[in-house]
This record gives sequence, C-alpha cells and structure tokens, in this order.
Amino acid sequence: MTASVKFLADTDDPPLETMSPHRGTPDALSRRRRFGMLTLSAASTVGLLLLFTVLAEIGSRAGWWAERVLPAPSVILGALGTLVTEPQFWLDAQRTGVEIVVSIVFGSLLGFLAGLLFWKIPLIGRVFEPYLVSFYAVPLVLFYPVMIVWVGINAMSVIILATIMAAIPMALNTAVGLNQMPPVYLKLARSLRASPRQTLFAIAIPAAAPFIVAGLRLAVVYALIGTIAMEFTTAQAGLGYRIRYLYEIFNNIDMFAYVVVVLLVSCVLTAALAVVERVLLRGRRA
Amino acid sequence: MIATASQITNASSARSRRLRAVAGNQFVGATVLAVLVVLAWEVVSGLTFVIPSPVDTFTVLLANLSDPAYLFDLRVTAQSVLMAFVIGTAIGGGIGLLLGLSRRLRLIFEPLIIVLNGLPKIVLYPVLLPIFTLSGSKVVMGLLFALFPVLINVSTGVQEIPQVYWRLARSVRANAWQTLVHIIFPAIRRPLLTGIRLAVSLAVVGVVLSEFFATRRGLGRVVLQAYSHGDYPSMVATIMLLITISFGISIALWQWEKRIH
Repeated sequence: MTASVKFLADTDDPPLETMSPHRGTPDALSRRRRFGMLTLSAASTVGLLLLFTVLAEIGSRAGWWAERVLPAPSVILGALGTLVTEPQFWLDAQRTGVEIVVSIVFGSLLGFLAGLLFWKIPLIGRVFEPYLVSFYAVPLVLFYPVMIVWVGINAMSVIILATIMAAIPMALNTAVGLNQMPPVYLKLARSLRASPRQTLFAIAIPAAAPFIVAGLRLAVVYALIGTIAMEFTTAQAGLGYRIRYLYEIFNNIDMFAYVVVVLLVSCVLTAALAVVERVLLRGRRA
Repeated sequence: MIATASQITNASSARSRRLRAVAGNQFVGATVLAVLVVLAWEVVSGLTFVIPSPVDTFTVLLANLSDPAYLFDLRVTAQSVLMAFVIGTAIGGGIGLLLGLSRRLRLIFEPLIIVLNGLPKIVLYPVLLPIFTLSGSKVVMGLLFALFPVLINVSTGVQEIPQVYWRLARSVRANAWQTLVHIIFPAIRRPLLTGIRLAVSLAVVGVVLSEFFATRRGLGRVVLQAYSHGDYPSMVATIMLLITISFGISIALWQWEKRIH
C-alpha cells in the first residue's frame, strides 16, 4: 500500500492523491511488514543497549576513565545482586512504589474528571488552560520545598505534588479529546435518546479514547519523574533519596546500582504502557 | 420603525455580547483565578506561621533584587538556563530532523528515545558531576531536560509534512539548504514552537533541580539555603520568582503558537 502511494507520488501527476495516503487495510502483507518493523525496532534497541554495556565494560577495564566516573557494568551488577537481598533496599523501593502508584491512580482520576469538567463547562476550561499549559511539564517540582515546609518532609508532600503533575496532562488530553469529537456523534446520541450516562460512556469516552490513553501515558511518566526528582532533592526515604545519600557518603558502586534500578523501573513502566496502549486501542488504528 | 426596533435589539444584544465576551475572555478569567489564588494564599498564611503572606514575600523579593549577591546568583542561573536551552534545542532539533527524514533511523532509534524521554534524568546528576565539573553539570542536566520535547516534536512535525511539499521542492530543484529553510522550517513551525516552549521551562527546571543538589552559586542553592535556615519568606520569594519567569515565557510562546495557524 505504502509502496503504491510512493510510486504515485513519484510520478508527476496532477494532484489526484493529495489526500493523505490511506494507511489501513490490515491485509496479510502489511501485517507481516509491520511485524518485521517491530522486530527490527526491538532488536536494534536491545543491540544498542548491549553495545553501550559492552563499551562501558571495556572502557572501565582498560582504564579509559576513572573508576569513580563509571564503574564496570559487571561490578555494578554484582552490587545490584547483593542489594536485592538487603531489607533496606526493599523499604526504599516500597516507599517509592507506593508514592508512584498512589499519585498515578489519584492523578489520572483527578485529571480525567477535570477534563470532563473543562469539556462540559468551556468557560472553566478556558480560564484554567494557560496555567495547565505552562505547568504542563515539570515546573511544579520547584514548589516542593514549599510543600515540605507546609505538609512536612514525608511521603504525603511527594504524593500531593506528583498527583498534580500526573493530573495535568491527563486533564489537558481528556479535554482536547472530547472537544475534537465530531458534533455528529452527539447528534446521534440525541436522536437515539441516550441518557447522559450512556452518552458519556458509550459515545464520548470511546471517541476520545486515543487522547485519554496518551494522557494516561504522560501521567505515568510525570508521576515517576516527579516522585524520583522530589525524593532526590530532599526526603528521608525512597530510591531517589538513597542515590543522593550514597553519593554524599562516597559509596559510588552502590549508588550506580540504585541508578540502574531506577532506570530499569522506568524502562519497564514505559514498555508496559506501550503494551497497555496497544491493548486498549486494539482495532482502532488498524 | 421596524428599523429602529431592530437597531435597539441589535444594540442591546451587542452590549450583552460584549459583556459575555469580557466574562469569557481568557485573559480576564485567568487573572481572576490568579487573584483568587493570591487571596487563598493570604488566608492560609494567616492560619499557619510557616507560610509567609504574599505581601511579606513581595517585600523580601524586592529587598533580594537590590542585593548584588542575589543578582549574581540570578545571573548564574540565567546563564546556565540559556546555554542549556540553546544547546538542547539545537541538538534536539538536529536529531529530530534526521529521525523525521529517515524512516530507517526512526525504526532503529525511536524506542530508545521514548525510553530515554521517560527516564527520571535527574538521577544521572551524580554521574555527570565528575565528568562535567560543578558548573558544567547543571548545564548538561538542563540540556538533557530540554532536548527531548524539541526532538520529538520536530520529528513528528517533519513526518507529517504533506507529500506535495516534497514534490514542490523537487520540481523547483531546491537544494538541501533551500529545502530546509523554505520548506521544512515553515511547515513545522508550530510543532517546533511547542517543543521550544516546553524546552524553556524544562531547562529552568533541570538547572534549578541540579542547583538544589550541589552547586556553588545559583538560585536553586539560595532556595535550599533559605529552607535549611528556616528563612521561609526568602525561599518562597525565590521560588515564586523562578515560577513567574518560566510561566511568563511559556505563556508568551503559547500565545505566539496559537496565533500562527
């Protein structure tokens, strides 16, 4: 399909096919092709990561850089092996895990409800929009010192800010998704005499689903980034705090082991989200 | 007679429309919201002693801004943010352009970039410190924060350029540079601006978070020092200054972005 469009585009014909190339028709060929592309992507990602690990191993063994800059991956993995047997590690991991999960759950619920509100009452949406748009990324993290003064230096202050950070992309995406819904859909609902609840669950939410799922993905990423960053700044427990603590007592190898744990957790989360997105939107982007 | 009647209804409807326009104006609404937030702040500061009142904060901010040491910290932070933003945007734009143009590169590097974008990059700060020294590391951290939104937006923007544009470039025999300046840049200006807007505030956050961790000078250090001394008005004033500046830039870019359609 893509090949034929490309061929058409190559000839200098009048603008017959200026409309966007119709991607779709999940015939066997394109599916096999997509599968091939997926394996290529996965293989190259794994290959690049392996290449980096091997280079790091060789470099630190050969003394291209000092041990304190980047220890050999085998040494870090060894430290990681002893780390997972220590209760201290699991306490930190549990604290961070609880903070992240709670802020993802509350953040996405709150954001979803806010997005619905912005759609139902456009005035509120327009008033809040500039603030949400500019706090979109992470500047809220800067409020963390105020939060610890106010709430105390505990899990609560992290959870509150991470929840808000997760809620913002969710709210913006939900509102955008609902607003871009073609008016015909609501007309259909009216002509079928759907109750407000039916309209919401059977028409509006499925119509906005791609945007809502994208918002969910951002919510998870921001909850993770926010939580770790705040723990890293100042906290009394958690993975982010432990990295800082180990840095301050010059325990470099264990610090790298913790950094690797955080990186692994976020890789796993990203991969899981990609799968969730695929399952939720199955048959939609065929 | 009929004409005058219609004129009257017109006038009254115009007035009500104008009223509604004022009430529904985004700027007015957002300002009202900001005033409400400041009022809430005032009320809360009366309830607990740890939160300074808005007036106190503002006075401290004015006093700080006439203090040369504080201005020096401000300048250090501003320079780091500017460098992080400029370098980050340039690198992100370059890589984004390559990825947007080449399907093969995209297949190879896209998953890795999505993963890297989702990382809490701040944990890499202690790793950067021995490599880039104390003053360079925060620039690198801000750069890492600012890089990804530009990269992803440029890459998506280039992919979505309609086929006709490429054919036009070919038919007027534009060379690579002309294609870049006259076709690609105008076509992706909106996603590019979105990326730049996010990059500005992320560069601020990256630099200030790094300064929270370890640095010699800079506003992040001022915040943390005020926190550990219990000097809350100064702490809140500095945070509000940082937030207001990045908010202002972000809003200005957002308005610009909305105007070019």
